[in-house]
Amino acid sequence: MEKNCSDADLARQVAASQDRESEDALLRRFAPRVRLYGRRHLRDESAAEDLVQQVLLITLEALRAGKLREPAKIASFVLGTCRMTVLDFRRNAFRRERLLQELGGHTEIVQLPTSPEYDPTQLAHCVQSLKERDRTVVVMSFYDEHKGADIAATLGISDSNVRIIRHRAIRQLLACMGGSE
Amino acid sequence: MTCHSPIDLLVLTNYWFGSLSASEEEKVEDHLIDCDSCSQLLERIIRLAGLTGDLARSGSLLMVVPDSFLDQISKEGFRVREYAPPLGGAIDCTVTAEDDFLIGRLAADLRGAARIDLCICESDGSLKLRLEDIPFDPNGGSVAFQQSITYAKAAPSETMIARLVAVEREGREKLLGEYTFNHTRTMPGPPG
Repeated sequence: MEKNCSDADLARQVAASQDRESEDALLRRFAPRVRLYGRRHLRDESAAEDLVQQVLLITLEALRAGKLREPAKIASFVLGTCRMTVLDFRRNAFRRERLLQELGGHTEIVQLPTSPEYDPTQLAHCVQSLKERDRTVVVMSFYDEHKGADIAATLGISDSNVRIIRHRAIRQLLACMGGSE
Repeated sequence: MTCHSPIDLLVLTNYWFGSLSASEEEKVEDHLIDCDSCSQLLERIIRLAGLTGDLARSGSLLMVVPDSFLDQISKEGFRVREYAPPLGGAIDCTVTAEDDFLIGRLAADLRGAARIDLCICESDGSLKLRLEDIPFDPNGGSVAFQQSITYAKAAPSETMIARLVAVEREGREKLLGEYTFNHTRTMPGPPG
């Protein structure tokens, strides 16, 4: 039932009935997407989790209060809230840090699904099977997230070449670890 | 769940590394917030990124590493044991329980080489492993080669010969340098 329901339908159900089951379904659907946004922009797992909690609370509040006039635009609303909240996090980084220390890892409104698990031994085998240059580029890219330009300068190749090699290596690693793109 | 207009892996990868323009990034985010399928692919890339970073930190990969990587791990407090045998010479080496990374530095004139292979040989000179087309800085004057610390800590006393070979376009090969590592086991374990 939930899987066949569009984001907009779920949002409409929440707005109309404030039914707990629909609310949970909506939160489960958006939580992983908001978390990805947070990981990309905040580069910190716990900050990304905080973003999920905050954005989904705002979204739920807006739906319950009927502030979201067009539930069909729920995705845009969530994304806009993500952007605003990340800006807010950056402005209040100091205050946030203090609150985190004071409150620690307190209650969460959403249990997030775990990321796909990879076997480290298999990954080591897959990384080792890459071509030499590809291995160096992908390891440097993922270790401390070196910028493409830095890797390019270190290896004496162009930035665009680094991107191509990185892409090729990631494609190969994903295939080696099982499953398609 | 299936996406009818999936984001290309290259674009997703560039998005994760912050290599897209602001407008491209906005388009990707508009799509991701609405798409479980593409979000899951990005999730897998991030998972790979994290685990590959952990692997790099474990020192267990056998690979050529740039000096910038060695600088970085040293700054982070990892203990790096480096051996630099002279060109054509030998060096005695070992590894201790406290070491995190084991590096062999192979000095050679790399200028003018289009492709360099690193050959790892047994003590009798027979080829054990050939790392083809290794990354190198033509003006660097050396290649830093990371041996798996996990392997080295468990390895018996043994001799390993490394050779740097320049491969020309016509397929001709030229030996740039040969280096002998005489490893003595100092950690307890089964006899070799």
